[in-house]
Amino acid sequence: MGKPICVTGAGTISAIGINKEQTLASLLSKKSGIGPLRYLNTEHKEFPVGEVKLSNEEMASMLGIQPGIPQTRTSLMGMLALKEALAEANVGIEMLHDIGFISGTTVGGMDQSEQHYIDFLENDKYNQYIATHDCGACSEMIADYFGGFAFVSTISTACSSAANAIISAANLIRSGEAEIVVAGGCECLTKFHLNGFNSLMILDTKPCRPFDATRKGLNLGEGAAYIVLESAESARNRGVTPIAMLLGYGNACDAYHQTASSPTGEGAYMAMAEAIADAGMKACEVDYINAHGTGTENNDLSEGNAILRLFGSNVPPVSSTKSFTGHTTSASGAIEAVICILALQNQFLPVNLNWSHPINKNGAIIPVTDSRPLRRLNAVLCNSFGFGGNDSSLLFTKSC
Amino acid sequence: MLRVTPYIKAISQISIQEPLTDVWMSNPHYYSEKYARSVNPNFKEFMSLAESRRMGKLLKRALVTSLDVINRSGIPHPDAIIMGTGLGCVESTEHFLEALCRDGEHLLKPTHFMQSTHNTIASLIGIHTGTHGYNCTYSHRGISFDCALKDAFTQFRLGNIGSALVGSNDEVSPSYYVLLKKIGLVGQDEEICGEASMAAMLSDCSEGALCRLAGVRILYRPSMKNLRNELEHMLDEAGTTYVGIDAIVTGISGNKANDNFYLQILQDVPESVPVLWYKHIFGENYSASGIGFYVAVKCLQFGIIPQSLFYHTSQVGEGTAPRKILILNISEGKNYSLILLEGTCGK
Repeated sequence: MGKPICVTGAGTISAIGINKEQTLASLLSKKSGIGPLRYLNTEHKEFPVGEVKLSNEEMASMLGIQPGIPQTRTSLMGMLALKEALAEANVGIEMLHDIGFISGTTVGGMDQSEQHYIDFLENDKYNQYIATHDCGACSEMIADYFGGFAFVSTISTACSSAANAIISAANLIRSGEAEIVVAGGCECLTKFHLNGFNSLMILDTKPCRPFDATRKGLNLGEGAAYIVLESAESARNRGVTPIAMLLGYGNACDAYHQTASSPTGEGAYMAMAEAIADAGMKACEVDYINAHGTGTENNDLSEGNAILRLFGSNVPPVSSTKSFTGHTTSASGAIEAVICILALQNQFLPVNLNWSHPINKNGAIIPVTDSRPLRRLNAVLCNSFGFGGNDSSLLFTKSC
Repeated sequence: MLRVTPYIKAISQISIQEPLTDVWMSNPHYYSEKYARSVNPNFKEFMSLAESRRMGKLLKRALVTSLDVINRSGIPHPDAIIMGTGLGCVESTEHFLEALCRDGEHLLKPTHFMQSTHNTIASLIGIHTGTHGYNCTYSHRGISFDCALKDAFTQFRLGNIGSALVGSNDEVSPSYYVLLKKIGLVGQDEEICGEASMAAMLSDCSEGALCRLAGVRILYRPSMKNLRNELEHMLDEAGTTYVGIDAIVTGISGNKANDNFYLQILQDVPESVPVLWYKHIFGENYSASGIGFYVAVKCLQFGIIPQSLFYHTSQVGEGTAPRKILILNISEGKNYSLILLEGTCGK
């Protein structure tokens, strides 16, 4: 059992809102952000996506960034989410030299690279975007917008990147190496990974249906979210009230396949079990699970099996909010962590949209369709699984 | 709270020096070219033909260095696998990206996409060895390895883990070399660009250890004052000072702009402390700091500093039987890491 960590601020941007207030309103009114493509310039118009409903220019303008400075869509979304998180935590710019920043991303600046790659090879017109391509560049652009941090680091474990950034930050606080670390992730849509997921044949041309027998694949989404993690001592000394607690977490490797999950969901099972044990809790004390629930044939079956195995006849309410946001890949762990915190603060169950048929007749996940909780929400589990079986789970509780 | 600091039990490299050996210590290869690719071992000795065919070169190098330290340390399933990479399997990324840009969005194959995600390396090692423990990948430019090492260090201190496979891997394709050179990241002035794969097995057990990891810190754009403070704190925590350091391994590479950041902080260091470099024989790339770590471990393991590593020829022969080595890594003048290693010989 590890030391509890305070969450003193959170910020999010995704297809269902450019801040927490809008996100909460969308979740409560069951309004999905998934729709036809508008901002990404791709030939694959057949796939619905969860886009942030802002152009890069609009985001830059909201941030007060002058036109002409090289930016990537991923870092712009990251800046907006981070700004909201720092404001809520009452963290001023002057404090950042004592605060760490750990961000998760995989596509990084690919949105610009895929537009200019041939130019990179053949001329010098867009050289400024060579330097914004890699994952680390993305985190540094965000950090530099705020004037820097004590340290900046980037995690890239595909779709569990943000969850692992939160775990990495929490370990630094538990070990006493840091008092405050801001962690989360950001990822914009790109042709690169839209085509990648398409080549794996796991995209649905209809709105995704997590945990439904008729599910055909995922819808990609985009966004960013960050949470401010802080030791109890630091929060007390600063006089800030935690909005939630990160009580436990687990990271395990499915060790099965580069892109597929094992049928038994070994990694998922281990990550969840570890998170619950780390929090010093029992499985029966978990009041809600925000599933990874991508809507692919493979993930939902594997994750469902892991949940059924771990919770037995006491499966708590489960839902996948990817039916609202789309799969925001590297950002999903943080966006869904913020959704979990909103659920705890506002005592509601985020529903699973588009569900009607259980996967199995006997023994399957029946996801949440009614947002009214049957019991008080105290502890929630947030799952994020990545390619290669990089599976992580976070356990948040209400702040005491 | 437990304050376990880990030991390094085994370490291995595939780079532009002879792979999987210490031959570079007595007989380094000096390159006259400004860009060199890793010298590959015979991969067939380590994996089946079918496996070899499925993997890109970087994955093979990562797997071979990892299997080497797994075998040498006798730890088949480490509690954690933590890898650093600046660009991942960039050849796979380039394949997919070039096909996307030149041929459009309808003929793309999944293999290169699957291998383009940065975590494909750490997860492959997990899959190949059937290791279910903590598995993570850091991708932060020139400190990717240092971030991975810090994660391991933190988790040893917390008592979360008793063993960890930590490493870094980067390949530099000919086309990516040109791109990185264009923006001044490699190949500047006298600098050589290379490739690097390094794996190290860390454990809380001291038996047969090569040396001990006493501290690791990461900093972003620190002020000189801040940097001095952090250095002093780390040395203090390990019960030493500058004077107690037997050598400083630097990432001085011949790239004058970045080298200046080293020269600034080295002004604080007493003249008696030998300044070492390794990038003139191993080359620069995002995973090069992993090689810096490897070089320092080797010096402590054998209790000697090879002549080729002395940055100032006037210092050659100093720092015999080193016991404490500080590794200083500065990437693009922004990302700093400080690592302290202590010898275990005679313990």
